[in-house]
Amino acid sequence: MDDLEQLYQTTYAAVVRFLYRKVWDADRAEDLAQEVFVRALAHRPEKPRAWVFAVAANLARDEARAAIRRKRHLVLMTNDPDQGPSPTMAADDQVERDERLTAVHDALDTLTERDREVLLLWDAGLSYPEIAQQTGLAVGAVGTTLARARKRLVEAYDRQHSRDHAAYS
Amino acid sequence: MRHIPEDELHSYLDQALSRTQCVEIESHLAGCEGCRLTRDGIAALRDRTTALLAALAPPRGFMPAVDLLRERAAARSARLHRRRRAAAWAASLVVALGLGWWANTYVSRPSAVASRLPVTAPSPAARHADTAARIAMLPAARNAGRPAADRGPAGAMAVSTESAALRPTTIAAPRVELSTGTLPTGEFETSLGGIWRTLSWAGARDERGDSVPHIDGLPVVEVQVGQAKVGGNKSIMVVAQQLASGDVIRTIEGPAADVSQLLSSRPGASNPSPWPTLDSPGIAGGDGTMAMRHGDRMLAITAPLPNDSLRAMMRRLNAEMRGK
Repeated sequence: MDDLEQLYQTTYAAVVRFLYRKVWDADRAEDLAQEVFVRALAHRPEKPRAWVFAVAANLARDEARAAIRRKRHLVLMTNDPDQGPSPTMAADDQVERDERLTAVHDALDTLTERDREVLLLWDAGLSYPEIAQQTGLAVGAVGTTLARARKRLVEAYDRQHSRDHAAYS
Repeated sequence: MRHIPEDELHSYLDQALSRTQCVEIESHLAGCEGCRLTRDGIAALRDRTTALLAALAPPRGFMPAVDLLRERAAARSARLHRRRRAAAWAASLVVALGLGWWANTYVSRPSAVASRLPVTAPSPAARHADTAARIAMLPAARNAGRPAADRGPAGAMAVSTESAALRPTTIAAPRVELSTGTLPTGEFETSLGGIWRTLSWAGARDERGDSVPHIDGLPVVEVQVGQAKVGGNKSIMVVAQQLASGDVIRTIEGPAADVSQLLSSRPGASNPSPWPTLDSPGIAGGDGTMAMRHGDRMLAITAPLPNDSLRAMMRRLNAEMRGK
């Protein structure tokens, strides 16, 4: 097993997750993730891990532009058939789960583009130097950006969640 | 005591600091309750962020075998290689076509476009001269039926408006010479009696210097030099050049009597009097021919072109000749 194959085995899920949080379409995220690794196998980059996420970010950006051009509504997770109502899940639980996902999604959307990118790259497992290389930030600024992004995400989620609960009560 | 900044604690918890930095932070945390609380808060924030983002994870999907991706990668590489090769071929073709066009425009036929201008679009001055010549031809037509003796010293050939001897032509040589051109047969075969020598352009220049009559800008096909029969011990020169259309234009210079005889004896010429007598501007023509007499010498141009074009060329040639 070469390095790229090993990277594929260990990183594929993280790349899919990273892409999914950008395109909000599970099938499309998988297609793009496979495209990323096909390109990696064809190009054999020197730093494959950082390269893979850089390409993934570019593909997601292109995908978003194409979606805007087509004026197609992004598929929200609540519409994702894979995340649809489960027959074994109680209706109340399902509603609460959907509300939570929507709140997280909205909270993520409140972040700036850079904060969101750094947060998602960190969550995908990239190191500070790798994040810095991809985003153009100084390595020392990654920690500051992450601190701000985490704080704003949680604050935005709490606001959204409390507003939803207030609406129901 | 300096407390640890929050972003540094984020980096510490993310294990993004060096071992030395970690030791310093841990030493401080051991003795600072406030920083420990801050660290715990950041750790909770960090865990909560991770938990929130985990909720956004897509459902576990199908992970294709790496061999499948390898096949797609190989196909992609092959496709890219084919595209690059096709692009290289296309680029080569474009370069070759561009070079061909450039060579055809600037090397093979250097002044083809410029040389057409006076032929197809004579200058206003040339048109004016043409009109004047047509008006001047009216008495010539009236004189056509009169005996040659009554027409003055020029006789039935041409008008003599210049008494000075023809000065050597010093028109610039064409930039490119066609040495393999072919002349239409028949036109001069019967008229070029006697001994004619065929010269190359360089040979003619060696022999006559700058006085080889020709139209500037047209490739020279052939230069023929003959011994004058009527005009004494002088030579007559015929320079054949090729027009862009493929037709041949001939510039003839020599003793007036020999040039006139040569022109009147060629097939299709209007005999016995192709040269009406003109008073002005000194150009006689007909049957695709224009001639100008300078004393005992004559300069003529023959080509399958309209008279106004020939007239303009003759004027240009004469002006250049006399301007030297």
